[in-house]
Amino acid sequence: MYIQAFFVAVFGLAAIGFGVVVFRTSSMVRSALALLFSQTAVGCMFLAMQSEFLGVLQIMMMATEMSIMAIFMVMFMMDPGGLGGMDMSHQKRFSLGAGGIAAATAIAVALLSDWGPVTAEAPDAAMQTRELGFEMLGRSMLIFETAAVTILTAMIAATATAIPAREPANHDHKETSR
Amino acid sequence: MTPVLILALLTGAVLFGVGVYGALSQTNLVMIMMGVELILAGALVNLVAFWRFLHPEVYSGQMFVLVVMTVMAVEMAVGFGVATARFRAKGSVEMEEAEDLKG
Amino acid sequence: MSIAIVLFALLVTAWFLAMIESWTATGRLHPAAPLLSGLAHLGRESVVPRTPDRVFFETAPVLLLVAAMLGAAVLPLAPNLIIADLATGALFFNAALAYVLVALIMGGWGPNGAYAMVGGWRFLGQLIAYAMLIVMPITAVAMRAESLVNTAIVGSQESLWNIVYQPLGFVLFYIAAMALAFRPPFDLPTAEGELAGGVDAEYTGVRLAVLRLARLLLVVTLASATTVFYLGGWHGPLLPPWAWSLIKTLAVAVSMLLVGHYLPRIREADLLGWCWKLGIPLALLNIFIVGLLILVVP
Repeated sequence: MYIQAFFVAVFGLAAIGFGVVVFRTSSMVRSALALLFSQTAVGCMFLAMQSEFLGVLQIMMMATEMSIMAIFMVMFMMDPGGLGGMDMSHQKRFSLGAGGIAAATAIAVALLSDWGPVTAEAPDAAMQTRELGFEMLGRSMLIFETAAVTILTAMIAATATAIPAREPANHDHKETSR
Repeated sequence: MTPVLILALLTGAVLFGVGVYGALSQTNLVMIMMGVELILAGALVNLVAFWRFLHPEVYSGQMFVLVVMTVMAVEMAVGFGVATARFRAKGSVEMEEAEDLKG
Repeated sequence: MSIAIVLFALLVTAWFLAMIESWTATGRLHPAAPLLSGLAHLGRESVVPRTPDRVFFETAPVLLLVAAMLGAAVLPLAPNLIIADLATGALFFNAALAYVLVALIMGGWGPNGAYAMVGGWRFLGQLIAYAMLIVMPITAVAMRAESLVNTAIVGSQESLWNIVYQPLGFVLFYIAAMALAFRPPFDLPTAEGELAGGVDAEYTGVRLAVLRLARLLLVVTLASATTVFYLGGWHGPLLPPWAWSLIKTLAVAVSMLLVGHYLPRIREADLLGWCWKLGIPLALLNIFIVGLLILVVP
């Protein structure tokens, strides 16, 4: 119990710490990799909370996802190395307030609610994977399939948005060079 | 009432707050997406904590986590698609310069 | 106890590989060559380039080492000789090796050099090519074993090794494993001729020694994974289980080095094109065939 609390707290602090670093560094690769390690810490929290499959999945997915984030940061930023020390933020006070209020509300809800009785024992890890599989391909199959189709749609949509617009076909050979 | 549940919920709350700050304060589209990812990470922490400590026998909780992970991936893909299109058209993905999107 | 044994086995295999690697380079089989060149690296000056991203520069070799070792931690040498027999072992193997990419991006970005950076980002492109080809064959393997536990996966191959049961998956996994270990035909991030060493270029001294060791261990880990997933792990006649695991791992690792020795480097665009247009359909076909076999053959 105390060991679990300790690990959840440590990885939670790591996740928050790296999460703050994301917006405090001016180097874009650092910021993307800080987000990666924040997400990895979240995955480790899952492991500490004995949901092994989800934790490993989170750790695996985020490594590639955030690395791809890093290259897009380098592509689209004016100062990816952060050597110029540019300030890339606006409406700072308003955002700080909004973030603070959001966090405070969530904390208040977490502390003030009555969460009811807590189960001390988690199911065995192999059992969890098995049950999740049955859930996924049984009762929640429709949701699972919807998620899959959503990903496919998003892939096609994103590719279609990203590829350059084709020049209109000029049948009458007008204005071939610009 | 267990301290571990509260700890996890507090972490989720603070991650959510940091994410909201980032999504509102950054001027770059990709940085805003990072804020959104942090918000979703906070949601994930809460979901897993609820599953583990309140209803470990209901696997819809874990299923929900998978759906949120899907949302994260989809958000990334579509966001990058939009960013690439914007960068092609205007040469920048700064939000301050995106006034022309206002209707 | 088993941690020490597994680590020792890893090191011994890496030692053999280093010997064979130096043999392919110099033509002489020198048993102490790895030790000597390691000591030589320790003695050399460890240069830090101008205005590096110090955190990334220092972390990258260590992260690569840790990722390779974590991957090896879930692979069994013998029925009880495994560091952590996780309930999601096959998935954890993927998760650990995903950090190879992170380490290379850090190592490419950190030293603030053009060649290193090109190398690091190239590996990201390479990941997009091979990632699916690592995961999908493992899916088919886990389907046959009806488990993600690596010892159960080896147990499922007692009567028939997976290399016979699903040869297509083996070929795809072998190629993807070589791409993941960035061994020669796929050594795009460290291409000697075009990038002057790429990610390796800016590392010297102790850091280079760690990086080299990490690359060797990565090859050993992937060879061990090939053994566990496709070559029946510890199964074999006469010899004790751990010996079979070691022999098979070593054989796969040496075959990877030899294949790399005789093939020309592949182009990034070709790699991406072949992996996506040919590899992924084949991997899906493999999953389909294995599913059919599981249903039809009792």
